[in-house]
Amino acid sequence: MSDVKGKVLKHGDSTRTMHWVHLLCFIILGLTGIGFYWEIGFIENIFGGGANASLVHRWAGVVFLAGPLLYIFFNFNRFARFMDTISHITKDDVGWLKVMGGYLPFIKVDQVPPQDKYNAGQKMLGWLIIIGCLLMILTGFPMWLWRDAVPAVFLSLCYNVHFWTAIILILLVGGHFFLAAIHPKSRVEFSSMMLDGYIDAEISAHHNEKWFKELKQDA
Amino acid sequence: MTLFSESGGITRRQFFKGSGILLVSAVITGIFAKIGFDASAASDEYINKRIAAMYTLDEKMTLRKSHLNPEIAQIYKDFLSPGEVKPLTEKSERLLHTKYGKDIPALIEELKKPHEPGAQPGANHAA
Repeated sequence: MSDVKGKVLKHGDSTRTMHWVHLLCFIILGLTGIGFYWEIGFIENIFGGGANASLVHRWAGVVFLAGPLLYIFFNFNRFARFMDTISHITKDDVGWLKVMGGYLPFIKVDQVPPQDKYNAGQKMLGWLIIIGCLLMILTGFPMWLWRDAVPAVFLSLCYNVHFWTAIILILLVGGHFFLAAIHPKSRVEFSSMMLDGYIDAEISAHHNEKWFKELKQDA
Repeated sequence: MTLFSESGGITRRQFFKGSGILLVSAVITGIFAKIGFDASAASDEYINKRIAAMYTLDEKMTLRKSHLNPEIAQIYKDFLSPGEVKPLTEKSERLLHTKYGKDIPALIEELKKPHEPGAQPGANHAA
């Protein structure tokens, strides 16, 4: 492993830009949502009061939808490869999940099964983020645009689904941040997504063995 | 230093998976949007019918303006502004106008006071 030298471009410019845009929108949406759901004055005041926080929430939601759509439109190949990776579940992924990738201190692991560009946990996160974002968008826009037209029971369903999906997404993103930026085993991922896109080939060869083999073949 | 990166192309499987998830998302969004637009259109139709009904009812009324109603004019002549039809007198404002919001508690307090014989309603009322 240690004889592997070089750098791997894991996330391209457009992917990192989209990730930044989505992250900033998510933070704004989460803060404003928490602010006016629980009527926390100081959070609302950051955005200029309750009414403005509501307005910022709605338009951040538009960017939250438009960002990935533009990314997919201009980078369909990257998106298609991503969807292929996260939907390709193998025995190695099941094996990874059985030992939770060796991340949990009470599960002793000798060898973690080789992984694709994204490990089994990241694949699950990918699906949950996609489904979660779809639910947020599908429930958010009727609450904004059709609130006077749709039946009250449907609007109530939208509010409940929107709220609980938001809670789950915030917890998931919190876990994602911990593993990607703080956990000593995986925090090297942080700079590859948030800064220059590169990661050490040695780390990729270890964490994403199957993907790295493909890269070496293509090189 | 060796630099590794993915090739730009995609396989047929990747194309179908990427297109598939977009298609499924578009269909779900489309169904949701259809429900929303239909509900919005039904709501607009209902509102327009209500507006039409209100105007039709109004047009069928014999007396459509309160100040031209002879019974109202008679009430003013007999009681609210004796001898003439004069709107916005202190008495008419007090008896006919409704109070809202922050004015309600003061009104309740005033109504709780015992009625003094001979006192004119609204004698201490500032219009």
